Amino acid sequence: MKEKIMTLIQRERNLYILISVTILTAILFAFIFGNSMYSARNLQSMAYQIPEFGFIALAMMLSFMIGGIDLSVVANANTAGIFAALILTGVWLPGLNESNAIIAAVLVAMGASILFGFFNGWMVAKLSAPPLIATLGTMILYSGIGMALTGGKGVTGLPSSFTSFGTAELWGVPLIFVIFVLVAVILSVILNRMTFGRKIYLYGGNRIAARFSAINNERMAIAIFVVIGILAGIAGLIIISRVNSAKVGYGDAYLLQSLLVCVIGGIHPDGGRGRAAGVVCAVILMQMLSSAFTILQFSPYARKLIWGFMLIFVMGLNYLSERRAQKIRVDLLRKRTPQAD
Amino acid sequence: MIRHKIVTGSELILILIIVLYCIIVAVVNPAFWGFETLFDIIRSSSTAIIVALGLLVVMLSGGIDVSFMSIALFGSYTAAYMMITYKIDSLPFAFVVATLIGIILGMINALLVNWLKLPAFIITLGTQNFFHGVMTTFISDKTYGAGVIPESLSRFGSSTIFKVNTEMGVMGLTTSAIPVFLLICLTWFILYRTSIGRGVVALGNSEESAIRSGFDPLKIRLFAYGYIGALAGIMGVIYIAQVNAVYPNKLVGDELMIIAGAVIGGTKITGGSGKILGVVLGILIIYLLNNTLIFLGLSSSWNKLFIGTLLVISVAVTSFQARVKNRKNLIFTE
Repeated sequence: MKEKIMTLIQRERNLYILISVTILTAILFAFIFGNSMYSARNLQSMAYQIPEFGFIALAMMLSFMIGGIDLSVVANANTAGIFAALILTGVWLPGLNESNAIIAAVLVAMGASILFGFFNGWMVAKLSAPPLIATLGTMILYSGIGMALTGGKGVTGLPSSFTSFGTAELWGVPLIFVIFVLVAVILSVILNRMTFGRKIYLYGGNRIAARFSAINNERMAIAIFVVIGILAGIAGLIIISRVNSAKVGYGDAYLLQSLLVCVIGGIHPDGGRGRAAGVVCAVILMQMLSSAFTILQFSPYARKLIWGFMLIFVMGLNYLSERRAQKIRVDLLRKRTPQAD
Repeated sequence: MIRHKIVTGSELILILIIVLYCIIVAVVNPAFWGFETLFDIIRSSSTAIIVALGLLVVMLSGGIDVSFMSIALFGSYTAAYMMITYKIDSLPFAFVVATLIGIILGMINALLVNWLKLPAFIITLGTQNFFHGVMTTFISDKTYGAGVIPESLSRFGSSTIFKVNTEMGVMGLTTSAIPVFLLICLTWFILYRTSIGRGVVALGNSEESAIRSGFDPLKIRLFAYGYIGALAGIMGVIYIAQVNAVYPNKLVGDELMIIAGAVIGGTKITGGSGKILGVVLGILIIYLLNNTLIFLGLSSSWNKLFIGTLLVISVAVTSFQARVKNRKNLIFTE
């Protein structure tokens, strides 16, 4: 029994380290900040801030898992939000009543996001474009669409029945937070328990091996980028319902933060490794740090310094721990095999 | 001996696009045709071309750098800050300080990329924010306007090589065209006539074969990232001379457009292939669109849409060509 637990811990070592760091940080912050961190108000505001960023982070996680970075996630979310806002404010499809407009806005935003995701996937699958550079192009293109539509100005005045979705609560917990947890659990089950999920790991780990193991690489790439598009679309809708407006440039800082969350969450940028639970844990850790910075009144520049440093620092730590693990494996092998001399 | 053609197919297409676009704009709006537009584009694209040359070297080596604008800001801001606080009014001082800072920061990138063996994009995104944060937190985050900028800098920014009389008044070609030209020659010489330059291309094509032919990847990376750092420092000084002010938050964020220009110019992100002429043409197209869409009656908010479309088409065409070629030879890269 003990051995079983030990092997389980060994296998998920990084995840458990991350969970303990998060809990330790939570306890540490309780001593340092006390009530200003754990007041009901701050906890609730954290629960409101987590989802929009969380969805972008989950989308980025999927792109990491297949060994590419999707730069267009934030632009996709943003432009989908602008589409929805244009319908909700009656600029597009005027004459719809409010409830129909909301349905149309959600459908158009999600449709656009799926289409954007599909286009990314199509470029990667059918044209063999490197994901990083393909999504750099579509990132400029998608935000260019939003820019051309709005001229860089904000679309404001969304109907209150739509924005109430962003502030709705379920037993005191924000509805959007519940949705985020649900989606994260579903994604985790897909990744760990379903064929599609296993195929994502195989495809991400070694594409050439996947191709010759009867995995349809092209279909995989398109499917994953469509899922990324869906997650980005949800994030876009949450952002506009929370901010009560849509504007090009909302959430641009999420690009760095979502990369950071994936790296902290143990998703290897070369693909094929990582768990959704790690990313969710890292999102919570980031939100706690972010709240602490707000309480300490750090300038945006100081935040940039800390996020940038953390990204490099965590990658350095991962590198060292990986090298150590490899050395232990090599030593074990040496002990088991008799020496030739 | 293999003869390298100076102008290849893809560059010819870029030139054709530029010529066609110019004809269309000139037909719609004859005001486009004149020295003002030409000098304006050369002036605004000169800084971008300088860093794009450095980016070409890094991308040829199989890496990428998104921190160069942060480095440019760090170097030039620090140089200007020192000049203002210690009352040093000398242009060479600004260039030397900015270039040295650029080389040091660039080499930090190189060490991290070489050591961590992770995608250079993520590493340099981290250092981009880190460098910018260090500068604004530990040096200063104030803005210095036209009044306090050292005179030698602002004089350099507004100086011209020669002047032409036009209907709009006297127009001059900016002096920054000289460093651009010199750096193009230097980059060409390094890439095609020195051993380290060939090493850069070799490393980008295949790290394993570069090591086996005796190149040290660390040395090559130190050179490539140090080179873009040095160019970024030079570019930063020219930039503050041109705008005649020092801001703590400009430049950073513009790096993606430079990468877009390099990719439109045919530089491959996988390394080993890319040309100086292509990169210069790619940057020129971007600045041509930025500066002249207004002549077509489109506001500047359309820039990104056009550049994005151009970039997507260019990526699509080049990757599809490579795919067809690879499939024909039964090479599977994915």
